Amino acid sequence: MSQPPDNFDALQRLLTLKRYEAPPPGYFNRFAGRVIARLEAEGGMRSPTCWQRWWEALNSPPALALSYGAVIVGLLMFGTGLLQSLELEADPALAASDSWLGPDPLSVADAATPGAEVSMSPVIDPAGPASSFSPVLGNSAPPILFNPNGLRVERVHYRPR
Amino acid sequence: MSTSLLEKPEAPSAPPAITLLEDRALVRRAKSGDLAAYDELVRRYQERIYATLYHMTANHEDANDLAQEAFIKAYHSLRSFKGDSTFFTWLYRIAVNRTINFLKQRKHKTHLSLNDLDFNAEHDPDLVALISDKTPRRDAGLTELQEKLNAAMLQLSDTHRLVVALHDVQGLSHEEISRIMDCNVGTVRSRLFYARQQLQSLLSEYLKSP
Repeated sequence: MSQPPDNFDALQRLLTLKRYEAPPPGYFNRFAGRVIARLEAEGGMRSPTCWQRWWEALNSPPALALSYGAVIVGLLMFGTGLLQSLELEADPALAASDSWLGPDPLSVADAATPGAEVSMSPVIDPAGPASSFSPVLGNSAPPILFNPNGLRVERVHYRPR
Repeated sequence: MSTSLLEKPEAPSAPPAITLLEDRALVRRAKSGDLAAYDELVRRYQERIYATLYHMTANHEDANDLAQEAFIKAYHSLRSFKGDSTFFTWLYRIAVNRTINFLKQRKHKTHLSLNDLDFNAEHDPDLVALISDKTPRRDAGLTELQEKLNAAMLQLSDTHRLVVALHDVQGLSHEEISRIMDCNVGTVRSRLFYARQQLQSLLSEYLKSP
């Protein structure tokens, strides 16, 4: 080949031939109409999926994103408050000093009926001696997941035959 | 590029700034479900999208289907279009990606379905020169040249063919192509150089020495 490898003038002239390739006459007059007809047949814009909505919310304008943020912060604060109230319920000493929580319904019932059923009392006496069954030594209530005041226990009355 | 190229059928380039502003308004309306606005966007870009896909596939029917699908997919994806790029670039990306996927599936089942040449091609001095007495294959007519050119294009890889179609045929800049193909300008340049070398080699008997 006599041409230098990076001289593409002749090739570029040949490639202009492709610009003369044209679809059948009137093709573009109908093209847009076909696209729109197909879109109308499909019912226009599809409603977005949950994921798409979520993604759009994340990419939404600042005002909307801020409002989402405010809702999330509000939920977090509510959750924290709820957590604290549950912790206070678990600790009777704290509960007594905290007036906003209101009286404990269980203690109110006990006060109203002095001879209340024994079955309302907890299984483990926090003031009792430490043992393998009751390893707690202190007076303070165990953490939130174990609330002895809230436990209702039915005693098994074993009668030998 | 020779100066006579500028007198040829105009290679479509990126839309001017005023069009981009209008595009934004039309996109906003189309996003809210206004099909008339989207119809205007389709009319604005149908020729460029179709031409690119036609040069990629060398098949009118395939290009027609792919172009329609590209516009339909773009409409359904409008909500995800945030305006980080122009609508034009975004639309090109959708069309090109869809076409490359299609071509991967179509491997080894290629057949040409070429559009007719505009009658003005016969009067193009550069093209006349290519089939003149001085051309090595002077018996070749424009139609044969068209077939050989398209067959040679199809021997390029999809990405190399795309670069040639967008730059040498469509007239897009390296920067625009890099945005459409999501690669850097250097990659576009090297792909273009390699693709031209390949084409030159494949079509050597039809290319006249200066």
